[in-house]
Amino acid sequence: MQLVMPVEMKPDRPKLDAASLIVAVAEHKDHEAFKVLFEHFAPRVKTFMVRSGATTSQAEELAQETLLMVWRKAGLFNAARAGATAWIFTIARNLRIDGLRRVGRETSAIFNMDEPAEDVEQPDQAYISVERDERVRSAIAMLSEEQRRVVQLSFVEDKAHPEIARELNIPLGTVKSRIRLAIKRMRDVLDGQP
Amino acid sequence: MTITHHPSDATLAAFAAGQLDEGSGVVVASHLTACSSCRRWLRKLEDVGGALLADLPPTPMAPGALARTMERLSGPLEQDKPLPAARPAEHLPWLPEPLRRYELGPWRWIGPGVYQRKVSVPTKGDARVFLLKAAPGTKLPEHTHTGIERTQVLAGAFIHDGGRFGAGDFDDAEGEVEHRPTVDMGEECICLVAMTGGIKMTGPIGRLIQPFVRL
Repeated sequence: MQLVMPVEMKPDRPKLDAASLIVAVAEHKDHEAFKVLFEHFAPRVKTFMVRSGATTSQAEELAQETLLMVWRKAGLFNAARAGATAWIFTIARNLRIDGLRRVGRETSAIFNMDEPAEDVEQPDQAYISVERDERVRSAIAMLSEEQRRVVQLSFVEDKAHPEIARELNIPLGTVKSRIRLAIKRMRDVLDGQP
Repeated sequence: MTITHHPSDATLAAFAAGQLDEGSGVVVASHLTACSSCRRWLRKLEDVGGALLADLPPTPMAPGALARTMERLSGPLEQDKPLPAARPAEHLPWLPEPLRRYELGPWRWIGPGVYQRKVSVPTKGDARVFLLKAAPGTKLPEHTHTGIERTQVLAGAFIHDGGRFGAGDFDDAEGEVEHRPTVDMGEECICLVAMTGGIKMTGPIGRLIQPFVRL
């Protein structure tokens, strides 16, 4: 008789503890930690930029720039406030807004808000970022294929709702309701969590 | 401050994804400075962005990219452009922090008891951002708008079909909306508005003043 297969048969991908690496950069100017972050994230940020419409050389430059900002801003990273990948996403997103859109001077400055202390210094909110990443992943995994696609187009491919409608050849109202449903579904999983 | 009206999920997700134009963005950012529950939800949405980024297939970097970046680590901060200096609150304690980087025009009379002040946010197309101030009890003319109108209430309150909107509340109106807001009694109402598309006065008084109102 065969033993029941363990549930987790997927080859476990090596977990990168990005939060600790960022902290090592912040506290010790740790070049080794930076190398690991660069090798993991720069190629993904490059894909992110290419999919957002950057040329290969723009994407290369913006990916290097993103990692350079990770080095410089590492001291501002607060694991209790943001997951490591979310933090890197916000840096890449802001560089994308200023680097590719070029409407205003520093559009991404709208994201620079003062963080009231009440948001951060609640120790019970400081759950480790790996756990946080897992929860977000499972929320995304719950989406239907169609819902995931619109969320991806918006977050990763820098497409505004009317562009998504054109790309998928569906009415704008459908794009909006699909996004609304996708967000609501994720909110049911993620909200209420710290 | 009790906040009962928030940006829609789609609006906040577009903000998190970096999709909103600067005009709508600054109105949403002004709401976020007042609303801790939206700030919390924004961070979750940024987590979603992070997870999607982490799952992207890698594109190989150019040869020597790591070495070149390492060389820049200790270099001068040549890329750091200073942000436009934020102006002090002056006599405008209700002015939210995200607005302080922008030039404000003078208050301009646009109708009985109603004043408008331009906020010079760089925008594309017909998008515009302005502050609107109305005396207590003012009934704004009945009107329809065709584009997007995002409003953050900074002081006072107004009431329309959608409910009562007080300081801190966000009115996320999109598409054809016809309404006749009334400013609540007690204190003057100041709102920050980002608008695209047209506005059409539909009531008899509105039609009369339409030629003068250029919101």
